[in-house]
Amino acid sequence: MKIRTGLGLAVAGALALSACGQPAATTAPVPGATTTPAASAAAPANIRVWLNGTDTPQEARDFLKKTFEAQNAGSTLTIEEQQWTGLVDKLTTALSSDSQTPDVVEVGNTQAATFTTVGAFADVTADLAGWGGDDLLPGFVAAGSVDGKTFAVPYYAGSKAVFYRKDLFEKAGLTIPTTMAEFVDTAIKLKAANPDKTKNFSGFWFPGKDWRNAVAFIWDAGGDLATNTGGAWAGALSASGSQAGLATVQKLFTEASAAPKDGDEADTWTPFCEGQAGMISAPGWVRGLILSEENGCPDMEKNLGVFALPGSDGSSAPVLLGGSNIAVAAKSPNQELARKAVTIMLSTEYQTILAKAGLTPAKVSLASLLGDDESAKATIAAASNARLTPAAAGWASVEGAMILEDFMVNVAKGGDIAALAAEVDAKITDKLK
Amino acid sequence: MSTVQPLDLAAGASGTALPGRRRRFRGLPYGLLLPAVAVIIVALGYPLVRQVWLSFHEFGLKQQFGQPAEWVGLANYVELATDPYLWEVLGRSVLFCLVNAAVTLGLGLFIALVMQAMSAGVRIATQAALLLAWAMPVLAVLTVWQWMFDTTYGVVNWALTALGGDFSGHSWLIEPLSFFGIATLIIVWMSVPFVAFTVYAGLTQVSTDAIEAAMLDGAGTLARVRHIMLPAIKPVLAVVGLLQIVWDLRVFTQIYVLQRAGGTASDTNLLGTYVYRLGIGEGSFGMAAAVAMFLLAVTIVLTSPYLVTMFRQED
Repeated sequence: MKIRTGLGLAVAGALALSACGQPAATTAPVPGATTTPAASAAAPANIRVWLNGTDTPQEARDFLKKTFEAQNAGSTLTIEEQQWTGLVDKLTTALSSDSQTPDVVEVGNTQAATFTTVGAFADVTADLAGWGGDDLLPGFVAAGSVDGKTFAVPYYAGSKAVFYRKDLFEKAGLTIPTTMAEFVDTAIKLKAANPDKTKNFSGFWFPGKDWRNAVAFIWDAGGDLATNTGGAWAGALSASGSQAGLATVQKLFTEASAAPKDGDEADTWTPFCEGQAGMISAPGWVRGLILSEENGCPDMEKNLGVFALPGSDGSSAPVLLGGSNIAVAAKSPNQELARKAVTIMLSTEYQTILAKAGLTPAKVSLASLLGDDESAKATIAAASNARLTPAAAGWASVEGAMILEDFMVNVAKGGDIAALAAEVDAKITDKLK
Repeated sequence: MSTVQPLDLAAGASGTALPGRRRRFRGLPYGLLLPAVAVIIVALGYPLVRQVWLSFHEFGLKQQFGQPAEWVGLANYVELATDPYLWEVLGRSVLFCLVNAAVTLGLGLFIALVMQAMSAGVRIATQAALLLAWAMPVLAVLTVWQWMFDTTYGVVNWALTALGGDFSGHSWLIEPLSFFGIATLIIVWMSVPFVAFTVYAGLTQVSTDAIEAAMLDGAGTLARVRHIMLPAIKPVLAVVGLLQIVWDLRVFTQIYVLQRAGGTASDTNLLGTYVYRLGIGEGSFGMAAAVAMFLLAVTIVLTSPYLVTMFRQED
């Protein structure tokens, strides 16, 4: 942990140095000196913003720092980059410390509930109207709210769409499916056809641990992972809708996929580039990885197509909504300044920079900024019907215990769906108590 | 350990250098011991006390964020003891530990004995190979093993298929028994060098006179090993066996990494990974602390026969 913090500080230091190199800073010999009269009511301070991975482009980081420091004379803003892996562990320790807490944090949308219910984030309900109000992505506001109060707001979104091989579709005489039934049929036919006679070929690449994709089929069939009746959460995989969805999932596992039955969905672009997958389901930014010189296969570009997973009714299927929330740490001593930083991050200018990098903006009205190419269209269509994991306080325990991964592996192995679902429902209910 | 040794030496030096004034400096040895004791109390005592304290409280994420923890007495222990899953994990851990410790010890002893019979060149090559295996960083080793047994691209599946078997797309981790087989392979591979070196060092101390005398009396190789070498290196074997049991019981990294690579976590959890999933994964720190106490208790029970023998030998 110490090493990571050290790295974070080093990165922050490097960022601060590069900022000092800008001409604007040279006119003020001591940036951030307390002698400068504060323009606002809040006392000047250094605001620490935690952003995860490389998702936020450098242009947005520079914009945030520059704008914040121009608006709040005397105060500084430092961005500290965190790793997605192990983020919950790190937030758990950092947010509970009075001296170590960052002021503003980015958190995965499905991780937000873990912290909103325990008092780790500050209540920002009063600021909501100023940040965009009803224009903010409703699913993300819901993910950051508990009992009518909002603790975390949307930062950006990104849902999974289906990437497919145009050339293989053509050779097998297949077209883009428009309903769920057609999709399953296409995936099975494509595997059977295996136009290029590749070893271990999948019509639809579907590794066993990939419950985040599997849940789309459960939702489409009218089922759910867990439901809330009268305030009590319970596992819902035995319900008839869920069972129908799971039957589809098992069919895809056994008849359309040759992916490892205990593998996970990391590195989906590898089998795609190896020619072992006719279709994969992945977030929009994976396109960049498929076409990258370093890890991917740029010559695949002419064969690469994208469409949103179709639902049973012909519109987009309800896929799992991916993306990030942003929150103010409850223990931050600089509540007012931290909120000002969030204001900048939700501004049209800042969100435009994110949209250009392929991230779906936090405001519904800005969706058109993504552009109108095939990839953007598929991303927007997928997000139109996206859903979140159950908003239960204990949901993080279900993910932490890897209950769904284990369950899906057993489904992929060809186990009895009804018996497995009954077993896993009991486990989920127990964790959500 | 390294912090204790220089202090002991310093205490001894002051005692011998000033024999006549020992009485005036009676407090000095204790004073010199103080830093070492303080380090042990802070480094070992505090976590232990904290663990015991946690195990008697309802301590989750809410408590981590400042809400008062509720004293629940033995409730965490009762919940665990009545959960068949804990006993399943416990039995699995003990069995895994004993099998691994036995295989490691047997193989290490065998290699040490064979090393004695090797010519110098071959022995140095063997020792270099063992040392390299021992010196490799755990995560690097695990990455290589993982790739070798990878379902789609692994060299093992490729080789077995090339030899005529049907191992294309075979998952080595999906069945718990096969999972633990791979885990044992990796752990034994990583631990054997230590045992082999230590036992070999012990064997070099066995009196050559006794062995020569036995040879003159007509004792064969097996008899010499059984009646002369093994009794002579028994203390070494006891210490190595004790360490193996402790290490193999609290094994974490290998299992954790393999669980991420494949398999089902609930069927392959050992005590170490179970504590992690309960504590860090699910945020039930109180329950995790209680499982850790079970782990401590099992370690003491399993190692007590060794400890008793060792203390006897020291007397």
